[in-house]
Amino acid sequence: MNFDFTEDQHEIKRTARDLLTKRSGFEQIREAAEAEAYDESLFKELCELGWAGIAVDEQYGGAGLGVVELMILCEELGFSLAGSPFLANAIGGLMIEHAGSDEQRAQWLPGIATGEATATLALATDGVAAVVPDADGAAVIVLVEGDSAVLVARGDAEVEPLTTIDPSRRYARVTASGGDPLPGDVVGGLARAEVALSAEMVGVAQRSMEMAIEYAKERKQFDTPIGAFQAVSHRCAQMLFDTEGARSATYFGGWAADADESQLALAAAIAKAAASDSAHSVTNSSIQVHGGIGFTWEADVHWFFKRAQLDASMLRSASTCRALVTSITAASLASAGGA
Amino acid sequence: MDLTFNESESSFRDELRAWIKANHPGEEPAGEDEGYAFRRDWQRQLYEAGWAAVHWPTEYGGRDATLVEAAIFNEELARARAPFPANVLGLLLAGPTLMIWGSDEQKQRYLDPIMSGDEIWCQGFSEPEAGSDLASLKSKAVRDGDDWLVTGQKVWTSGAQYSKWCMLVARTDFDAPKHKGLTYFILDMEQEGVEVRPLRQITGDPEFNELFLENARIPAENVVGGEGNGWTVALTTLMNERAGLAFGLQVGMKVALDELTEELAASGKLNDPLVADKLGELHIKCEILRLTAYRGLTATMKYGQPGPEGSLTKWMWSQGNQELMQFATEALGPQSLSDGSAWGRSLLRSRGNSIEGGTTEVLKNIIAERVLGLPRKK
Ligand SMILES: Cc1cc2nc3c(=O)[nH]c(=O)nc-3n(C[C@H](O)[C@H](O)[C@H](O)COP(=O)(O)OP(=O)(O)OC[C@H]3O[C@@H](n4cnc5c(N)ncnc54)[C@H](O)[C@@H]3O)c2cc1C
Repeated sequence: MNFDFTEDQHEIKRTARDLLTKRSGFEQIREAAEAEAYDESLFKELCELGWAGIAVDEQYGGAGLGVVELMILCEELGFSLAGSPFLANAIGGLMIEHAGSDEQRAQWLPGIATGEATATLALATDGVAAVVPDADGAAVIVLVEGDSAVLVARGDAEVEPLTTIDPSRRYARVTASGGDPLPGDVVGGLARAEVALSAEMVGVAQRSMEMAIEYAKERKQFDTPIGAFQAVSHRCAQMLFDTEGARSATYFGGWAADADESQLALAAAIAKAAASDSAHSVTNSSIQVHGGIGFTWEADVHWFFKRAQLDASMLRSASTCRALVTSITAASLASAGGA
Repeated sequence: MDLTFNESESSFRDELRAWIKANHPGEEPAGEDEGYAFRRDWQRQLYEAGWAAVHWPTEYGGRDATLVEAAIFNEELARARAPFPANVLGLLLAGPTLMIWGSDEQKQRYLDPIMSGDEIWCQGFSEPEAGSDLASLKSKAVRDGDDWLVTGQKVWTSGAQYSKWCMLVARTDFDAPKHKGLTYFILDMEQEGVEVRPLRQITGDPEFNELFLENARIPAENVVGGEGNGWTVALTTLMNERAGLAFGLQVGMKVALDELTEELAASGKLNDPLVADKLGELHIKCEILRLTAYRGLTATMKYGQPGPEGSLTKWMWSQGNQELMQFATEALGPQSLSDGSAWGRSLLRSRGNSIEGGTTEVLKNIIAERVLGLPRKK
């Protein structure tokens, strides 16, 4: 039992933090959001470092590491809010690698690993996915309906770019008919994607919390730093409670994806529910602690609030996940009782 | 990252499981005194088989178990629905405090009977005027030759009616700043100057007491950690209180939650999406508590002492357990609140969870100040 990263994994986290602190400060986030365009050179740089293929098998040109390592990068990208198709590409890749046929893997994974031909993934109903991250620049789009999923080449889908409340990421509406079905375990692929998405939300929550705490130490009212008022400090304690809880759940999901498939379905549902709820509550609280300034376009807390909204809305919702947790638990109790 | 038990952890668990299975004492009898006698016998059984204090070093009669094994011990006990040993405060609080602060003579004298349950301990910290602000306590100890004489009142003292010894914090210097004038004593409960009066809890049971001290006599050798050092010693006790219990409590919550899930499934109520949603949320909270406790454990193993993060798991548990009991009685309906239902009693008992061992508000203060580094309120 060792619930901590290995030294190598800590090193990945530190490297990512250092690089993203330099390359994606608030000025860059703002610039990208206002221009509605990414800093293309950043994604290129991440790809040159091999990040895009971190969890892709070596035979397809990836680094062959696990969901845990990918999760570490996603968390740091959420923390920095760097604009790039990284997450969309990674979750599309997880699905193709896990549920795809050999031909599908051979066709798509090398481009995903280098970032030269990216993927994305979304839930769809009757061939329509209302909000898909980074679909306009993707080479391949994975659409999941229930327990099955299809691959659609970008050229075969109708992709209409959208403006959402989150200008830090690009989204589009995707319509497609047919597509190339994935023959494997789509539910397992989706669970892995949800762990990666949850990790991004943990990073978003962590950064929002840190911003609130920093502000609460500096801002004075009634001749007192506001962080000395319990209504504020207890709110901050609650942010830690929520963020750490989501982190525990998400890391467990990453571990289950790599080491214990039998716990993954439950772990991923727990992670996605906890991370969505935490991202909502913590980014809300952070704005509240900032007061009026927090409501302005000029303050940077709102980027995190907005990303939290979109992230939480992607893949299965928190309430779907909670119902799933109940049904998985009830089923396992019933089978243990019957055995 | 490895969230499985290694070979020695697994074999520890298997051996323990087999032992509990063969020696399970059955259901705890109703009634405070009957339950206590039952838990005392159970502790004797654990002691004789070498299971009473697995986390203690072998030189003090423990198994030198790792923190993970100690967690497994608490988990397995709760999973088997076996009772906590009677001397839980001795095992979890007094013992570890003495191991850190006690003299060699004190360790020699007190540790073994703590483990066997021959001598039960209680915790005499809280006073009528000093609860959350523990350091403001007023019980007064004055020198009388080689002894100290203590006069004052303690309150909410759990298990005092069964105790031989009390971890007592009293003021020995009224001129020093409030945290500096305290001393930590081992008080003999069996004497003239100590009067124990039961207090009925909201459950109707007298689990805790008032303690009236009138020139209660304590020999000087019963000071723990030195005169004037009582606050620091008391913090060791409080840290252990918050860090150690989490695993057993988590599994206790899990067992109740699984029972509730089965009852709701049997009655068809799980088909109600609102019920399924809330139940899922509780399972999530319970699992997050377990995972966070294990993360804390890994951090403790890497960096030493239990940290203030222990406050987070205590808070998670008390909130989760209270929500669970409230939801259970709501979902199961009024019969769960009537005669003989364990749920009704559990609901009442859970109300104390966010007060005992430090209130949630105080835990939030600790987190804000010591973990997040926010300024203290003047
Ligand atoms: C079941 C049970 C068993 C117990 N067993 C023992 C025992 O064996 N030995 C022992 O010594 N004690 C024991 N206690 C006592 C327990 O530790 C105290 O009740 C607790 O520390 C709170 O103190 P208080 O009751 O005086 O409440 P107070 O401190 O008066 O608190 C009242 C309210 O004010 C809030 N409050 C107080 N200070 C602050 C602050 N700074 N910021 C924000 N809010 C604040 C509290 O959170 C609470 O809501 C037990 C309590 C219970 C319920």
